[in-house]
Amino acid sequence: MGMLDQLMYGFGIALTPENLLYVFIGVLAGTIIGMLPGLGPMSAIALMIPIAYGMDPTSAIIMLAGVYYGAIFGGSTSSILLNAPGVAGTVATSFDGYPMALKGQAGKALAIAAICSFVGGTISVVGLMAIAPSLASFAVSFGPVEYFALMVLGLTAVVSLGGRNLVKGLVSAVVGVMIALVGIDSQTAIVRFTFDLPELYEGVEFLIVALGVFALAEVLVMLNQRGKGGVRKGVTSLRLSRREIAQITPPALRSSVLGFFTGVLPGAGATVASFLSYSMEKKIARDGDTFGEGNPKGVAAPEAANNAAAVGSFVPLMTLGVPGSGTTAILLGALMVLGVQPGPMMLSQNPDMFWGVVASMYIGSVVLLILNLPLIPLFAKVLNTPRTMLVPLVVVFCVVGVYGLSFSVFDLGLLAAFGAIGFLMRRNDFPAAPLILGLILGGLMETNMRRALQISDGAWSVFLTEPISAGLLAVAVLSLLPALVRVLRRRRTPVEPAGSAATADTGDEPEGTRDESEDGSATAPVSGSGSGADGRVPPRD
Amino acid sequence: MSENTTARRDGAPAEGAAQGRPRRPWAPRTPILPERAFRFSPRTLGIAVGLFAIGYLVLAFQMPAYTAVEVPVQPSTLPRWLGVALLVLAVLLFFQRKPEETVAESGGEAADEPREGGEPRLGRLDDPRLEIGLFVGALIAYIAVFELLGFILSTALYLGSMTWYLGYRRHLVNAVVALTLPFAFYAGMTWGLDVTLPSGPLPF
Repeated sequence: MGMLDQLMYGFGIALTPENLLYVFIGVLAGTIIGMLPGLGPMSAIALMIPIAYGMDPTSAIIMLAGVYYGAIFGGSTSSILLNAPGVAGTVATSFDGYPMALKGQAGKALAIAAICSFVGGTISVVGLMAIAPSLASFAVSFGPVEYFALMVLGLTAVVSLGGRNLVKGLVSAVVGVMIALVGIDSQTAIVRFTFDLPELYEGVEFLIVALGVFALAEVLVMLNQRGKGGVRKGVTSLRLSRREIAQITPPALRSSVLGFFTGVLPGAGATVASFLSYSMEKKIARDGDTFGEGNPKGVAAPEAANNAAAVGSFVPLMTLGVPGSGTTAILLGALMVLGVQPGPMMLSQNPDMFWGVVASMYIGSVVLLILNLPLIPLFAKVLNTPRTMLVPLVVVFCVVGVYGLSFSVFDLGLLAAFGAIGFLMRRNDFPAAPLILGLILGGLMETNMRRALQISDGAWSVFLTEPISAGLLAVAVLSLLPALVRVLRRRRTPVEPAGSAATADTGDEPEGTRDESEDGSATAPVSGSGSGADGRVPPRD
Repeated sequence: MSENTTARRDGAPAEGAAQGRPRRPWAPRTPILPERAFRFSPRTLGIAVGLFAIGYLVLAFQMPAYTAVEVPVQPSTLPRWLGVALLVLAVLLFFQRKPEETVAESGGEAADEPREGGEPRLGRLDDPRLEIGLFVGALIAYIAVFELLGFILSTALYLGSMTWYLGYRRHLVNAVVALTLPFAFYAGMTWGLDVTLPSGPLPF
């Protein structure tokens, strides 16, 4: 079957009334949750997993993928209207989107965001189709040795890009792996770290940790913030002039490509992509100095890039079974809960799932566009949900989700505990994405490590003598280097005076954004600086 | 920064709040900025992580070895390595520079930005630590009565009381939401998705 045939096959799956409904539900829920300041795509997906439980796995991943890009889109609405990005991936959008809204061009900014998200999403689905099959056929030859190395790489990549502090990122990752090892060891049946509690014999459920350290912790952070008003005058006309369309087209196309490849790289997600494209456009543009004052290109670039990156991050997830970002880690966890193990075999064994998801992404982009252009004024009302109501509601969502998992109050206690841990982590700048990734990859890592050593008769050198594994491990070490250099440089250079931080030249943002883990630490800048729902990233190197 | 951005509960903007505002009950003597609450120095964090690592290592070394068949990797192998790695990281953390010098300044600057029509901070206590503690306490209470009272009753109680406590002023709306939403949830989950939530004393 050629690629086109397979895509048609995928459309056949995605266009069933049932799956169309799930795309719609996913995109809608994602948009709404993503719009709420504080709740990012990770929380959005985690909150939707309980609903996906009873579903067919293909439908479930179609819906959850819709939640993902819907949430990234929803984040842009609150960025533009409130200057309070719901998602770290849309922080860059607020640099020009909010000034546009202040100038009375909120509608235009939202329209640009919607169109460019569509362009970014669509272009990178093409990329996903083009790259994924060949990458998967290459990865089919991977054995446990290569897999172990690949997972180490996935973990270090997320750590290196995921926090402003390398040591804290590594602590998170190690603790994540530690949590993964709780329970009865599947190979020897020896009980590990259960404190004789039978509830822990089967390990700690990933959803409990995800809901705790993301959704619940975000709620606790929200408790202490003050909201920010922003533009509440409503949405003005969405109409774009022909000149404006011509103006935003080149940046949207460039940023889509850049965003896609950034998304494919492990560790770099929507956040890094949006900042990279923003600074690239600022450098290229003749009117670059008007960036930050409401230049439409400054909205087009990050919006195209963040959606493109969201789709791009599906490449390593679906072909290697290794999530490249915190959000895809949650998706992987969700898939494993549903009994699906993504990886190189998925394309050959579960083609309906892969191609169904790809096709649903095309559909999802269209739904997003249709849904958002006319309904934006209506959606913007979501932003008026008082946080006094929102906070207890999110808690109830979490409780229902966890209880539905195993009907155990013990799990609810664990949820509360992980909520508290997640809150303390956020307050002290420990990124949460490596913890989740460690939790998901930990078990797989150990299994592959054991298999590899079984084959090599216990010789640890096998990881370095196999060329692919050695290469991957070398890249893993290298991926930590930039963060290490940053730490060392920070020690030598004096700290910049504070006043310039928030107003700092955004052209230099990529440096600062490395500090943001993909979506996961949507509120990291918030917790760190106390800048509240403001959410601007103070570059703090 | 806390003084002039502390808005009153009724949502009045900040200015003047510093002088005229009556002290909330449980106000700490030296006000604690919400942004500062639960932030610890690298030393404290290093010690905490280190103690955790030591505890973990003790458990890892007590783990029985698997002797039925010879295996290259014991169940305790990876945990021991992880424990050692965490211990090393804890030491590195301990010797890190205190981030407060930078954070305090940049944080202050960001928070001092003018906030048009900003909402007040949620809750009623001046000490953000107590506020968080109270919130977590309420969550634990909710969990404790979850099966006893059933989903609908416990959730209605939790939602209504928390929304009221956090400062939502439209009590009728609050009551309607607190009563209808748990029921809708229950109906959707139990009858729609076959995820049975506890019914408690209610007959359905």
